[in-house]
Amino acid sequence: MGVIMETGPAVGGLMRRFLASLRDGVGFDILLVGAAMVFLIAMAGLPLIYNVLMSFQQVDMFTLGSLIRPWAGFQNYIDVVREPAFWLVAKNTFIFVFFSMGGQFVIGFALALFFAQNFPGASTIRGLFLVSWVMPGLVVGAIWSWILAGDFGVLNTILKGLGIIQSNVFWKSDPAFSIWAVVIANIWLGLAFNMLLLSVGLAAIPRDLYEAAELDGANALQRFWTITLPMMRSTIGAVLSLGLIGTLQQFDLFPAITEGGPANTSTVAQYWSWQMSFQLYDFAKGATISVMMLVLVLIASIIYVRSTRHEVRG
Amino acid sequence: MTRPYVPWLLVVVALALAAVYLFPLYWMYVTSFKSGSEIFANPPTFWPREIDLSIYPNVWTRRTMHVFLWNSTLIAAGVTAITVIFGTGCAYVLARYRNVWLDIGLFSVLMLQVLPASVMVTPLFVAFNQFGLLNYPRTAVVLAAAAKAMPFFVVLVRATFMTVPRELEEAALVDGNSRVGAFFSIVLPLARNGILVCAILTFMSSFGEYIYSKSIIQAPALQPASVGLSGFLGPNSTDWNAIMAYSAIYVTPILAVFVLLQRRIVSGLTSGALK
Repeated sequence: MGVIMETGPAVGGLMRRFLASLRDGVGFDILLVGAAMVFLIAMAGLPLIYNVLMSFQQVDMFTLGSLIRPWAGFQNYIDVVREPAFWLVAKNTFIFVFFSMGGQFVIGFALALFFAQNFPGASTIRGLFLVSWVMPGLVVGAIWSWILAGDFGVLNTILKGLGIIQSNVFWKSDPAFSIWAVVIANIWLGLAFNMLLLSVGLAAIPRDLYEAAELDGANALQRFWTITLPMMRSTIGAVLSLGLIGTLQQFDLFPAITEGGPANTSTVAQYWSWQMSFQLYDFAKGATISVMMLVLVLIASIIYVRSTRHEVRG
Repeated sequence: MTRPYVPWLLVVVALALAAVYLFPLYWMYVTSFKSGSEIFANPPTFWPREIDLSIYPNVWTRRTMHVFLWNSTLIAAGVTAITVIFGTGCAYVLARYRNVWLDIGLFSVLMLQVLPASVMVTPLFVAFNQFGLLNYPRTAVVLAAAAKAMPFFVVLVRATFMTVPRELEEAALVDGNSRVGAFFSIVLPLARNGILVCAILTFMSSFGEYIYSKSIIQAPALQPASVGLSGFLGPNSTDWNAIMAYSAIYVTPILAVFVLLQRRIVSGLTSGALK
């Protein structure tokens, strides 16, 4: 206090006002938001920009420690597209994203409709499904890797028992099936979250709409098409874009089930990017692939923000 | 007349659906109870012929699981601490006020939520390398994973703060409390349950964190349980009862917490997830 008095009343007053604002004014709010924002900018915002920068630089073991590296222009992008695996990975990413999302959404929606019926224990039993959501991805991958095993896996036994297949399918080592092995595991992993969000949307539809439609003689299918689907439009938009984002974030299943093999037939963009950086130590290509993926994620999140905009504003 | 029976039929169907869905979990436990030769029985037995638990202590010591689980706990605790300390205040302000700057803030938090860890791991690794943080690999993982966990936490906790009536806080201010005082003595206690559930969710998800740990932590003594599991898991694994026993030891605590808090977790998620 003495120091502040000596430096003059003006500075002391400023200091006091600053402290008071921190304790009892807008400074308090700025401090609370600011601390989180500084952390997020340092740990997510700047790395993101750095990633884009690296995709235009030559990065090797000698320049890894420096920020300013030789400029590469679009050479990294050209190199990535010319990789022999590029189109295979693009196709796998498309299959993985499209069928994971489709499977999660269709099964999740069916389950959500079923659990929207009024019966005892509905919400408790529905809650059990969410257990997949809290499990470590690698453990889920390990369990599915064992279920899908070609020679002693239980899925082959069940499918043979049901008469769907005649001989064992080598899910993980057959190039025709390897990506589907991961898709199956990912559908299992993601469908509970889809179902939960869709259930929330279903619960928000006013009951009397259905009663009015029933009085007018609409059957169940007509009620679904004319009431449920239109009323669920923004929920469905949000669920689908969250599904796209979640599928592009999925990584743990790949090292656990197929490691991208055999011969890259189950490698998707996110795993390829990691392999480039951390198995081949080609950080420039790793960064380039992840920038490409980022564009996809941004498109998905624009759709997501648009479909939930009124809820954010509310 | 048949009306009262319909709900019970639905309950049976619901239980059957849940049983099919939870079969992978059942299969994990059953496999871990089988002996090394029984897992290769053809056709597989859906109930172990004789329950053999000897693999549990075996895996625990052979795989040094106490080291891995301790590292997982440390990392998850660090991530949760950073997320709760920074995220709670941020969520509170974002729930209380609206202006252009906070809208931009909220929008960027929503955007950060979608960044895949596999995109962030390359620049984070190179940057950590430049700053020398790779010499403290667990700290580096905690920082990276906290940045990944925080946006989701902020979105969920913001929904909790929205349910705290503003009038209570204003009354406290009229009574002579400062903003700091009102925040700590009125708002935080009222939002405590929601924050606690979100903190537990953060802990559980960072307990299973894999990609940052795998990429950043090289020394086995510092790796978490997820990396430890990946050490003997691959497309050609055969050691299945050991892998399943390891998995069972790893996830049983998480499952126990989930079952205990299931109702709260589900309601916390539904209130925040779509906002």
